[in-house]
Amino acid sequence: MLKPQYIYVVIATLCSLYGAPCVAAEGLQATRNKNIDFSGAWEKDFSKSDDIQQQLRGLVRDIRRVAERRAKAGMDRGPGAGLVVGDNTKDSVPSIIGLAKMADLVTQSQVLEIEHSRAAVTIKRESAFALGCTFHDGESVAVENPLGREICGWDEHQLVFNLYLPEGLTIQHRLTLGPAGRRLNVATTVLSDQVSRPFTINRVYNRFEPGSQGIRCEHTITRGKVCTTVSY
Amino acid sequence: MHYRILLATLGLSALLVLSACNTVGGRVSDALEDEVKSNLVGEVKLVVAHRQPPQPLEVGVVLFDPGIPRDVSKHQELGVYPQIRTAEARYIPYLLRKALVDSNQWGPVRVVPQADSSLALLVQGTIVRADGLQLALDITVRDSSGRVWLDRIYRDEAVERDYLSSQNSGADPFGDIYRKIANDMALAMGRLSKTQLRRVTQIAELMYARQLSPQSFAHYLSESPEGDVELVRLPAVGDPMLARIGKLRDKQHLFTDTVDQHYMSLYEEMSNAYLLWRQYGREIALYKDERERRLQDRQRSGRRGSFTAMQEAYAAYRWSKVQQEDMDELAQGFNNEVAPTVVELDGRVFHLTGSLQKQYQKWQGILEELFALESGL
Repeated sequence: MLKPQYIYVVIATLCSLYGAPCVAAEGLQATRNKNIDFSGAWEKDFSKSDDIQQQLRGLVRDIRRVAERRAKAGMDRGPGAGLVVGDNTKDSVPSIIGLAKMADLVTQSQVLEIEHSRAAVTIKRESAFALGCTFHDGESVAVENPLGREICGWDEHQLVFNLYLPEGLTIQHRLTLGPAGRRLNVATTVLSDQVSRPFTINRVYNRFEPGSQGIRCEHTITRGKVCTTVSY
Repeated sequence: MHYRILLATLGLSALLVLSACNTVGGRVSDALEDEVKSNLVGEVKLVVAHRQPPQPLEVGVVLFDPGIPRDVSKHQELGVYPQIRTAEARYIPYLLRKALVDSNQWGPVRVVPQADSSLALLVQGTIVRADGLQLALDITVRDSSGRVWLDRIYRDEAVERDYLSSQNSGADPFGDIYRKIANDMALAMGRLSKTQLRRVTQIAELMYARQLSPQSFAHYLSESPEGDVELVRLPAVGDPMLARIGKLRDKQHLFTDTVDQHYMSLYEEMSNAYLLWRQYGREIALYKDERERRLQDRQRSGRRGSFTAMQEAYAAYRWSKVQQEDMDELAQGFNNEVAPTVVELDGRVFHLTGSLQKQYQKWQGILEELFALESGL
């Protein structure tokens, strides 16, 4: 029987190629848990976030273990199989390292600014593009152009963003609010159709009060960004 | 064997879901789509009058309807970015205004926040489509008597040459559409007699007068239930009340001219970024073909699954998102622009604040009060 991770890769690839509504396939919902509010400013807590090297070692171990199991069962090439030094086959070392590098690249934001309302969630990320989730008539609205497709939704208490890109690349950000709403975990999973297992890295963020709190800013052409103090 | 069946089932299911999705929503406006397709303006040269007509008509171009579908889920399908579309609805009328002014066929051409009965000719429009490849506008032109001069969809396509020429000369890549509308308006004007054109101006003046003083001016005009207005008779030459109204009408336009001047400078600031945005829209639309070519050239983009190839895919998407965010911010700034307008009237300075529509209504209110005070009505 086809393993779940392969099914996921197949679905992701099909979504990526044809722009299918993957939300249904992944069971994401448009309605949120009313008690969850991601709003606010968040800064990365390096001490609690995953170490990319460690995660990479873990992934390599996993792939090797699976390969060895398969070899023992007589399904594969033999002991030590699974990791390939060359670069033309699946699970090659360059592909696995590439996946880790991608995960590092897409999780570099040290500060997040989240606006959360009933109809939308916008995550402004330092040195990266904003992630947006808009809901309409009980369904999330996908963002799509020839360069990629973005869809989001709720998986119980977690907010999930899936980004399907060409080259068989899928990036998922899964946001979970910690106890008392003071901590935010962003689990980023990067999938490639050239690596049999996904690579996940957790980045932990702590809520902080930015210096500009109590200030409402608005953009205008002639005056640029205009900020006024607001008393709550 | 089982794998193959499962894979085939998965693939088929995905394709079935896809074909279903492509059907839903794709039939919403087929009639409109056909009309849009059949109205390509092509390459158009502006017809410029050597001399302005002896009694040029005053033209008002009302801020356009952005044509944003209420159904948010349609935005993606139709490529509508609400912030940007709202800004376009304010920007495009100024480009049309420029073509009309350049044609030398008209009197003052003003962009007005709402339909203004003191203008002889009103141009109203809805944006049907606006992306980097094409612009489609649903245009209606009516004169003060209710006569419809134009009512049709115009569509223009921009090719690379249009963008290159835009970068060099600052001309809009969809300039043909504005020139075509201006030419069609001039053609429609040419079909009317001098008397008919004079009537249009007279009706506009009396419409404004009627608005200020219905009891004094209502009987000069008759209006059908369909909104067609006819001139019943003219006021006496030198009617002092009409002269007073004429002065107020000029002051009404003073406000519009002040606002126009302010917005003209904003459009100049926005035009470069807007050009880039449309160029980006065009590139996105053409990207699919380009990508096919790039995929054949694996040397350049790196092996599938390599960091180089993945990084390239991610960078391209990030670029598209950043472009959109930048333009969204600019459009938001443009839409937020509600600078107060300061207008001087009979030695008094009026400071009007709020949205453009509100300022306009306040100004009309001030003029109506002034007229009531002066005329003792």
